[in-house]
Amino acid sequence: MKKECVAMLLAGGQGSRLYALTSHVAKPAVPFGGKYRIIDFPLSNCINSGIDTVGVLTQYRPLELNSYIGSGQPWDLDRSDGGVHILPPYMREGDQGTWYKGTANAIYQNIGFLDMYDPEYVVILSGDHIYKMDYSKMVAHHKKVGAACTISVLEVTMEEATRFGIMNVDAEDRIFEFEEKPAHPKSNLASMGIYVFTWSKLRRYLIEDEADPNSANDFGKNIIPNMLNAGELMSAYRFRGYWKDVGTIDSLWDANMDMLAPRTSIDLYDPTFPIYARTPIRPPHFTGPNAVISHSLVTGGSEVYGTVENSVLFHSVTVEEGASVRYSILMPGATVKAGASVEYSIIAENAVIEAGAAVGTPPDATDNWGVAVVASGVTIGEKATVSANAMIREDVKGGERA
Amino acid sequence: MTNLHGIIFAYHSNDSLGELSKPRNTCSLPYGGRYRLIDFMLSNMVNAGVSDIGLIVHENYQSLLDHVGSGKDWDLSRKHGGLRILPPFSTAESAHHTYSGTLDALTGVSTYLSSIRQEHVVLAWGDMALNIPLSAVYQQHVERGSDVTMVCSDRHYGVPSSTQYLTTTSDGRVLDVLTYPSTAPEAAEFLSICILSKSLLLELIEDCATHDVHTFTRGALLPRLGELNIHTYTHTGYVARFDSVRDYFDRSMDLLDPDVRRQLFLPDSPIRTKDRSDPSTYYSPDSKVTNSLIADGCVIEGKVENSIIFRGVTVEKGAHVRNCVLMQGTVVKAGADLAYAIADKNVTVETGHCLLGNAAFPIAIGKDSTV
Repeated sequence: MKKECVAMLLAGGQGSRLYALTSHVAKPAVPFGGKYRIIDFPLSNCINSGIDTVGVLTQYRPLELNSYIGSGQPWDLDRSDGGVHILPPYMREGDQGTWYKGTANAIYQNIGFLDMYDPEYVVILSGDHIYKMDYSKMVAHHKKVGAACTISVLEVTMEEATRFGIMNVDAEDRIFEFEEKPAHPKSNLASMGIYVFTWSKLRRYLIEDEADPNSANDFGKNIIPNMLNAGELMSAYRFRGYWKDVGTIDSLWDANMDMLAPRTSIDLYDPTFPIYARTPIRPPHFTGPNAVISHSLVTGGSEVYGTVENSVLFHSVTVEEGASVRYSILMPGATVKAGASVEYSIIAENAVIEAGAAVGTPPDATDNWGVAVVASGVTIGEKATVSANAMIREDVKGGERA
Repeated sequence: MTNLHGIIFAYHSNDSLGELSKPRNTCSLPYGGRYRLIDFMLSNMVNAGVSDIGLIVHENYQSLLDHVGSGKDWDLSRKHGGLRILPPFSTAESAHHTYSGTLDALTGVSTYLSSIRQEHVVLAWGDMALNIPLSAVYQQHVERGSDVTMVCSDRHYGVPSSTQYLTTTSDGRVLDVLTYPSTAPEAAEFLSICILSKSLLLELIEDCATHDVHTFTRGALLPRLGELNIHTYTHTGYVARFDSVRDYFDRSMDLLDPDVRRQLFLPDSPIRTKDRSDPSTYYSPDSKVTNSLIADGCVIEGKVENSIIFRGVTVEKGAHVRNCVLMQGTVVKAGADLAYAIADKNVTVETGHCLLGNAAFPIAIGKDSTV
């Protein structure tokens, strides 16, 4: 049935800059903010914006992501007409079919899916951003200015602008030039990787792009420049509010810490714009008789007997008596045993830090300092030491240094 | 799929629970930070593979219906079977007065019972908290070839004057049923959970209805102890039963004991409840929380000790909460001081107020009230 607006969520990327955290799952399935996975943010934004038809394009290690999304029920996206659809690459008659070659090719391969709903507008989203946004306002802007494409932009500092795709606009915020990571930026409007296209226009450009053997089949590299060159009306939509790309270990750690300061980031407690998640069945968490918890998030099924400061604890985490956790992220099922210390670290799902072990160190002035990461299921042995900036993918034996 | 059908009695409002029972049926009493009592028996049945459950309600069941909804949080929203709410059939005499006993209640829904597609039925109340392996009870029932299996506990949990007790032979055959004695006898406490065949159940209902017998254990089973093969199954885990505000308070505080939590919240047989999509609970730098069970979605900025805190509770900076049960949505404002209090849903305790109960007489604050 015809829909005015369909969202396509690009969730196929490996997220290689998250290293060990994405060795078993796609980036959008990485746990975030105590209760969520990254993909909960764009999915919740969709339903909060009145978009009830969402295609999720998957390719890299999709099993966990697929089972997490399931019928879409936690996001109210289990619909008899529309709802959430998982869209992997598929075989075709004649030719063999291919993996998604780029972001634009992923949408190109699903032209058939979009044609089923015959939308006026398509919203293209990424699965690696943390933000709350009412897309319906952006679509209204797109309609009002009669654009072929609207790109959501964030005002950043000129210094930061060198790290983003930058939109150069005229007095009416019409985009006349797009520069990827410019050394000398002319504007501070950074692309957030959120696009609204008039579907009939995008459809044509996708088909033309596919016919070009030299194309990288990418929105930023090909589709947007092609549309600009052809003189299409491209509009910048200025977004104000919290937005963070969590594609690196540092930014993922930063964004988690931001959730501890709702006034300056996202208010997860705001009932008018909830972020939904598939929640495991767990009893409330328990805070032990000698526990000390300060400026932290703690989630159901956890047991805290030790000290937790400035940290984010997901469900089913255990912090034993005498253990201390500071400025760290403990993903579901992580265990920190008696007397162990975890600082400035990300401890992935079901990892175990044995008694007396020490993981991570506070920032020092040196260049090679960084957040330490312990991959899922890994055990750090008794009294072992894990240095700052380490990326631990395999068990560390008791007393050893890694 | 198991050949067992679930019937849960949820028509009872226990007046002895005072303020706590006013807005609701006892089965929808909030317990343990995020549950309603009904969650325990619903989950026990679902965990035993029971796919069809009838919930017998009568009055005051609005909050229960809000809670269970279509049954989807228990995986009971099904094309065939699943959860069925059974209010009294409106033209029946039973619609005008509350059920006078479980057999009366069963008679009220006898058309539903005759349409049950499973061979056996488990009858249980939805007003206690326990995690019982009903599949093991069912297995014993079938293997022993019992006519009726009655579940009892190895310890005493209930108030004698509202509890039934079973005396048995050494191999577990029921000899006598003692109903509501003044003091606890030397006998096993009956947990009001029975398994029997659908055909025997229908036979008993028919026979009792024609003899104006309204109670199941006393009226239907007791006179047949000789002719039927009735055995007990002994449950060894923790059971919480509620007969007074004090009971409610004490059973809530039991949850601060890790051993009790281990018996109620088993990873392989989880207690399911309605999902609310709460964020994690935030502890501010000023918070000080010890020995407490705290659900998701709370913001804790004050001091909390020895308490059970439900979902979405706010404890402001400078507030002090000790030995309390704060239900969903309670707000304790700055400088307020609460001890031995039970705050029902959405209670607001204003700045500077002081509410001090004691262990023997905890204070219950009614739903939606402001102090």
